[in-house]
Amino acid sequence: MSDFDAIDSLLDAVGPEAELPPCQVRRELRERARLSKAQVARALGVSPSTLSGWESGRDPAGEIRTKYAYLLDGLNTKLATETATETEAAPAAERPLTSDTAATVTPSSSPDPGQDEDGDDVELLVVPEPCVLCGRPAGQRVAGFAQHLAPADCQPTATGAPAAAPAPPAEQPTAQTPKAPLCTARPVRATERSKGPARHAFQEPSGPVGLIREAVQGVLAEHRGDVDAATAALLKRAIPDAMRLLDETRKGARYDVIAHPWIPDILKKQTARGADQIWEARPKWTRHELPPGRHEVTALDINGAYLSALKTHLPLGQLEHSTGLAHDRRRSGVHLITPPEWEHEAVLPNPIGQRDEPGPLWVTEPTLRLLLRLSGPKHQLCAPPQIHESYTSGATENLLEKFRIALKDARDTAIEQGDTVTLEYVKAMYSKFVSTMGESNYNRELYRPDWMHLIRSQAFANLWLKALKAHDEGLAVVRAMGTDELHVIGDWRRVFAEGRGVTEVKVKDTYAAGTDAGEHAGEGE
Amino acid sequence: MPEKNIDFGRFGAQGIKGSDAVARKLDELAGGIATPVTAKRGWTARLHYLTKSTQTLKAAQDAGLTVTHRTLKAWLEGERRPSKANLKRIDQVYRAVRRHNVARHLLRRLNRDGRGTRVEIHPLNQSQVPQPLQRVVEYRTMNVRRWDRIVGSWAAGDPQSLDAAWQDTIVDLGSQWGQYEYVTNVGFAA
Repeated sequence: MSDFDAIDSLLDAVGPEAELPPCQVRRELRERARLSKAQVARALGVSPSTLSGWESGRDPAGEIRTKYAYLLDGLNTKLATETATETEAAPAAERPLTSDTAATVTPSSSPDPGQDEDGDDVELLVVPEPCVLCGRPAGQRVAGFAQHLAPADCQPTATGAPAAAPAPPAEQPTAQTPKAPLCTARPVRATERSKGPARHAFQEPSGPVGLIREAVQGVLAEHRGDVDAATAALLKRAIPDAMRLLDETRKGARYDVIAHPWIPDILKKQTARGADQIWEARPKWTRHELPPGRHEVTALDINGAYLSALKTHLPLGQLEHSTGLAHDRRRSGVHLITPPEWEHEAVLPNPIGQRDEPGPLWVTEPTLRLLLRLSGPKHQLCAPPQIHESYTSGATENLLEKFRIALKDARDTAIEQGDTVTLEYVKAMYSKFVSTMGESNYNRELYRPDWMHLIRSQAFANLWLKALKAHDEGLAVVRAMGTDELHVIGDWRRVFAEGRGVTEVKVKDTYAAGTDAGEHAGEGE
Repeated sequence: MPEKNIDFGRFGAQGIKGSDAVARKLDELAGGIATPVTAKRGWTARLHYLTKSTQTLKAAQDAGLTVTHRTLKAWLEGERRPSKANLKRIDQVYRAVRRHNVARHLLRRLNRDGRGTRVEIHPLNQSQVPQPLQRVVEYRTMNVRRWDRIVGSWAAGDPQSLDAAWQDTIVDLGSQWGQYEYVTNVGFAA
């Protein structure tokens, strides 16, 4: 009997081959459904290159052909029904477009599928959801909120009789909307999105930026909109909030934040109020002699210097000691070096800052990298530093990257909206995060004096590089001070962009300085 | 316990007992007077702490400050200076009383209403071990929910019971917990 079964199944298999649309149509169907080749290939169990073959001339055979035909057929009907509702709803405006592409199996969509007129994210809902404004079923969702697009449809429940003017039923969700044709391009998205609860209105915003917004809104609500009180309250909770944000941004990340590693003695404070042995290379430099003549000096302020400095090579684990090794780019930490001679003191600050004592000193990774870079073939400003000892660990630049970007985004949005509360809060978060990540009693969750030094040095190195850039572009650098103060003479606007973003600078002050026709005028502050 | 190290450091591994690292960290968290007891400022501050109330004085006497009131008075008024042996004793007693006083607060912070505290365990240092004998010992973290025994025996100044308590805790690391009997550092915040 079994022999006959096998023969029967073979006979069943031999039948008319499944019909496939022409090659271009296959491709078009897939693209209109916004499916990638990889996605489709995975579903069919073939390789993406095989799929490309099918879309450019070859034909599949056998069982796989049936599957492919089934997929294309499904896509076809899906797209056809959705476009049909659209075209039915839309007036004549949409018609010419559909007739253009009569050769294809389904009428095509609007010419630029990714773009909406007003940039809003309008989605179609298969099952209408209550409108956030009036509570009656609405067929569209804008920016995550189900709502009516035309004001006529949207009447508050109190005024509009709910039974007398029923909302569009499910069969015709887009019938009354003038904007509906815009959505023809994303039929698949519209159906996908309506399934899960992911995009429902009034859900807790997830992710790091949501965390910041939530905190600000919560505190503002608590203080009934009193901006000063809310700002004060937010500044108080900035450190724990920054730690929470850090945890949030490290979810699913490759490396753990190791908060309490063994710390070498050089990173420990010598006395309770004293400092440790690390030299952070803080610039504190004023040009000795101005170029002759009277000059307008502009004091520039680097925006969010510590925020930008969060992007630096941070050692991940415990620092390990090594002696006499060359610099390893994949590691980071603190190094005992003999700094090179600096011969450009007249025009540029010393990259290791105003160091009075001669001899070897412990510097951090950013300072060392800056020195190595300046001694490299491109700049050749000094000799390479001599490295004697190092405490290093494997490093990554991305450890605080998400954290930094979340804060930067929140800062940008706050500046755009003139939101001083969020701005102050974000500023307190990053600055206090950096200043308390060492041996501070205000933040015991993170005990990384090495990171604190590295981030600060990175800020100083960034300022130094800005000074170098100004110098290279022909400006006269007059003063480089602290983390964010750069005084220059000349047309700085062609070198630096002015603004409040982290890549831009703002003017702190302008003053006149220099000697006026031989007579010493002194510096006006 | 079968996982315990028998002859630690035989092949050059370096580290300290996990329980010692915990005690060190707890001492660090407990804080206190930083000036050394040998300086006048240091020992007077300790004596003031120990004689602040009759209760603390009683605790100090229980902890081993067995000097007469006359002597204490003379020390506090600056007429006499404690001898070297007494300075050492003052320091010990101060530490014991301080631990005892801080323990309740610290315990509450560490237990965090049952949520516990994340503990980082940094493995021993194998840099001096010959290459063929080195083993992969990873950095581990664990959440310790119940600190009562650990903090209790630390406050009582009982290293053996602290060691036992810590060992019972790190058993939760899994079958390799024996590798973490000796560590370079144990980190946690309170």
